[in-house]
Amino acid sequence: MLVQRSDMYVMRGLNLTKTYREGWLETPVLKGVSLDLDYGEIVALEGPSGSGKTTLLQLLGCILTPTGGQVEIEGRPIATHRAKDLARVRRASLGFVFQQFNLFPSLTAAQNVEYALNLKGMKGKLAQKTAQDLLEKVGLEDRMDYLPRDLSGGQKQRVAVARALAGKPSILLADEPTANLDTQVGSQVLQMFRNLAKREHRGLLIVTHDPKVREIADRVLRIRDGLIQSA
Amino acid sequence: MVDLGLKMLLHDRVRFIITISGVAFSAALVLAQVGLFNGLLDNAALTVRKANADLWVTSRNTANMDFPQMYPESTVDRIRSVPGVARADNLIVCYLNMGLPTGVRENSLLYALKDFKAWNLPWEMKEGDLDDLRRGRNIVLDSKARRRFGDFKVGEFREVLDIRMKIIGESVGALSFTTTPISFMDYDLAQALQPNLLGGQTTYTLIRLAPGADPRAVQAEIQRRLPFNDVHTKESWARKSEHYWITNTGIGMNAFLTVFLGCLVALVVVAQTLYTSTMEHLKEFGTVKAIGGSNADIYRILTRQAIVAAIIGFALGTAMAFAVVPLAAKADLKLIMTPGFVAVVGVGTLGLCLGAALLSFHKVAKIDPGLVFRS
Ligand SMILES: Nc1ncnc2c1ncn2[C@@H]1O[C@H](COP(=O)(O)OP(=O)(O)O)[C@@H](O)[C@H]1O
Ligand SMILES: [Mg+2]
Repeated sequence: MLVQRSDMYVMRGLNLTKTYREGWLETPVLKGVSLDLDYGEIVALEGPSGSGKTTLLQLLGCILTPTGGQVEIEGRPIATHRAKDLARVRRASLGFVFQQFNLFPSLTAAQNVEYALNLKGMKGKLAQKTAQDLLEKVGLEDRMDYLPRDLSGGQKQRVAVARALAGKPSILLADEPTANLDTQVGSQVLQMFRNLAKREHRGLLIVTHDPKVREIADRVLRIRDGLIQSA
Repeated sequence: MVDLGLKMLLHDRVRFIITISGVAFSAALVLAQVGLFNGLLDNAALTVRKANADLWVTSRNTANMDFPQMYPESTVDRIRSVPGVARADNLIVCYLNMGLPTGVRENSLLYALKDFKAWNLPWEMKEGDLDDLRRGRNIVLDSKARRRFGDFKVGEFREVLDIRMKIIGESVGALSFTTTPISFMDYDLAQALQPNLLGGQTTYTLIRLAPGADPRAVQAEIQRRLPFNDVHTKESWARKSEHYWITNTGIGMNAFLTVFLGCLVALVVVAQTLYTSTMEHLKEFGTVKAIGGSNADIYRILTRQAIVAAIIGFALGTAMAFAVVPLAAKADLKLIMTPGFVAVVGVGTLGLCLGAALLSFHKVAKIDPGLVFRS
């Protein structure tokens, strides 16, 4: 069967540029970046601090709009700038993991995941059950009712991974997920993350300057001076 | 459904208590202010509302109960001949000088009637029999007079216009707007004490209607026959007396201003605490957006918080205001908070909190979800 080429990718960025403007001050950060991500593929994007990794992740994650270029999610170009429509794309197709974990401090581990499911349209008992299943998958079945402040860094990031998996998004985006974790804990979280993404055939892009990420990636890209350099 | 709004609000206990206190104090402030005003105003026509007269005749343009004006007492005979009038009696209200044991002279507001019991004045007696007023130089003092006149006991004597009078009874609850202590005396004795002033004169005429008589028609007929008097229904006379103090003195404006300022302070306090609380959770709102939440989800959280803060704060504020009632009573201050008025303050509190939430929402709606990537 012949499929259109863009359908093969769960996500693409085409010639993306981004220039931050603050008054008369212009900071060109991305100068034409193209990359793609397959279903079930794990890509590591490396680059020194300040090279624009987070900016790129925000463009691909429909949080920022590019100055130029095009983002495609599941084969569909994102043509809108409306906050409401971008939120819908994030809800439907994307899961995020942050360097700072960004769990809701007032919600237990289970509620953090359940709330994400609620936002994505799953309510009631089903959402509770699904949240528990997701926490089991990340190995936190005995920490369901803990508040984030009572969890270790590694455990927090596991909750964040479970939350990112909520609603079965086809794309997972992680920004420096290991930066706040010990080397060993970081490796464990990465390994688990990899397994979950692979098993469920999700595309996973990890943006990092942590060399450990290479070990679990199918492909490694480097960004420098606003451009992708093949590694 | 995970109630993030509520959890967020309750998570920081101290902030929650501050927010609730802000709402509670604001509600209590407005309730107490208006309650005090109503209590004060209630005194302005207390005797009018308690007396069981259906109609009141006053001299033309008498402004309120405490500013009595004279007219000929024979007017009452013309009133009695009007069809529909079952009973009509003159009531003299006047200020008179009372000498206290300390040697000081104080004013008292005297109510003089021939038959007090027939008109339910005074409406409550603690001690003594009103009928004894007819038997000699006797007076009844209200218990509230103690504030101004010092302690007194039934059986003691006081100099009224330099004449020794016996206190033969003590009434309870009779008050005037000006807080001048009220005393009661026989009608004829009052006139005999001040023949030059009160001889052949009265200040009010109380009217009771015959069963089935149309108050409007009787009022109109009396008014037609007495062009130099005003004829009021009980309610209109009470209202006129109350209204006088609101419009002709500063207290109406004063009360309006305090309530207005109370509302303003409330708005600022509530908006400020809710807004600060929102700003402290900005990153969480950013996270909600990043993981797919829409502005509607944010608004739901803020509304939820506003409603919870309003309900708990209002309940607490109302409890505080009602707790003040017995304390105020000790200082001889009345707080009148009708259910209708409390309900209005409740709705106002909710509106205020939702308005404050709208302010926060305005801010949150504009935040860049990208902030969740920054440390
Ligand atoms: N919101 C912003 N406004 C202006 N400049 C920004 C903004 N975000 C990032 N930058 C600038 O863009 C450059 C790249 O930032 P970032 O994408 O965070 O890099 P990285 O994640 O690789 O460290 C930096 O120089 C940074 O100062
Ligand atoms: Mg970064």
